[in-house]
Amino acid sequence: MARSTPTYTPAGKYALGCFISIVLLTSDINYQTFSSIRSLTQAAGIYSELTFQYFLDQGVEFTSIRSNKKDLLRANQKLQDELLHLQNKIFLDQQSAIISKELFELEDGTKKLFEDRVAQSFQVASFDLKNYLCCSSHTLHLKNPNKFNIGSNFPVSNGITFIGQTSGSNLNLIKVILLSDSSHVLPIKIADFHCNASGAGKPLAIICLVSRNSRSSDLQINDLAFTSGMGGIYPNNVLIGKIKSIKNINIDEREILIELNGDPLQQNYFGIFL
Amino acid sequence: MNFKDHIIIFTTIFVGFWLDNSISSFEVREYLPILDGIPYLIETCIGFLIFCYWVYAMPEKLHSSSALIYGVLIDLCFSDAIGFHMLFFVATSYVIHVYALRFRIFSYFQLIIFFAGSAVFYLASKYLIFSPGNYSYLLLIFSFFINALAWLPIYFGMRYLRRNLV
Repeated sequence: MARSTPTYTPAGKYALGCFISIVLLTSDINYQTFSSIRSLTQAAGIYSELTFQYFLDQGVEFTSIRSNKKDLLRANQKLQDELLHLQNKIFLDQQSAIISKELFELEDGTKKLFEDRVAQSFQVASFDLKNYLCCSSHTLHLKNPNKFNIGSNFPVSNGITFIGQTSGSNLNLIKVILLSDSSHVLPIKIADFHCNASGAGKPLAIICLVSRNSRSSDLQINDLAFTSGMGGIYPNNVLIGKIKSIKNINIDEREILIELNGDPLQQNYFGIFL
Repeated sequence: MNFKDHIIIFTTIFVGFWLDNSISSFEVREYLPILDGIPYLIETCIGFLIFCYWVYAMPEKLHSSSALIYGVLIDLCFSDAIGFHMLFFVATSYVIHVYALRFRIFSYFQLIIFFAGSAVFYLASKYLIFSPGNYSYLLLIFSFFINALAWLPIYFGMRYLRRNLV
């Protein structure tokens, strides 16, 4: 137990503190007033983690006895990384070719615009696993050692499908917002049915809220969901996932839960169109 | 209280929040197939409990301004919305100050109930503000027991630090 009694503290100071906090919190949540400061401190935190990890790895490597098993594991990891790297490139090249072909068919002039875009692979710098597992905010950061100029709304792929889009960069770390983030909206199509699927705030899940009178009554569990290309960010006809459940949440609305194909936890490299 | 003491106190709170982050990032369901499919159930509030301990143990030294500054630093360091920890630290600090003398006659069990309850209130508010879709009573109940278990080690650990460093 503490040995002293508290001094008198006027409630006014606490009320003022609460008032300041509420003003800051409201402005930050509603208007993102401090998002740039937050992104900057987040990037600085990731760099310090990476630096710490680097020195830790160096220390472990220096002190540990090298065994054949360890070398093999390292070689295996390296090969896996290379494989993912190549997988991403192939997927993005395919997508790039499809887009270029579609554009060529539509209009010759615009083809040049997309030919200039190249697909690049980026290594994960940090994954916000805490929020990914528990909460609505699903983001990750990618390393950008070559300092490519990457802004917002570039599609990000894991080599099989798309997992999200970029949301700007800070201190050469590219922020990626995942499809399952509750603030992300992805226009999708399931057979002939179109809807805007927002992130469910749960891993590997997006949700379509639709009217019960719409054509959604024809949908079945395990129907495949594809990108519709309507948002202008993701190309058309890329498999995103499949329907996991269909629930009537009230007399007017129906909730279609789609399980995503691309698990961002399974990869160390992700591809971005530049 | 001098600057060095504030640094020590803030460092312990920082380490607590860092531990919370690390524990939350540990995906236990990956290692125990039996838990596969069970929703996210446990969230620790070690950092918050450490802050509560310091205010509880030294109410005459930690006032609203300290709570406000620790709060904004934690918000910045852990990329939370600016103002969230400020608000909770100031409000919790006020409640602990008001009942500081009453806490002296509380048993350990009563302290555990009070601080685990405070931690759950903090957790519930966090979920309601930032992630209402993931709000679950089951998570709050499990977290209550985990935070209750965490209180005594935090209490004795921080008391040791207070007696030796602050």
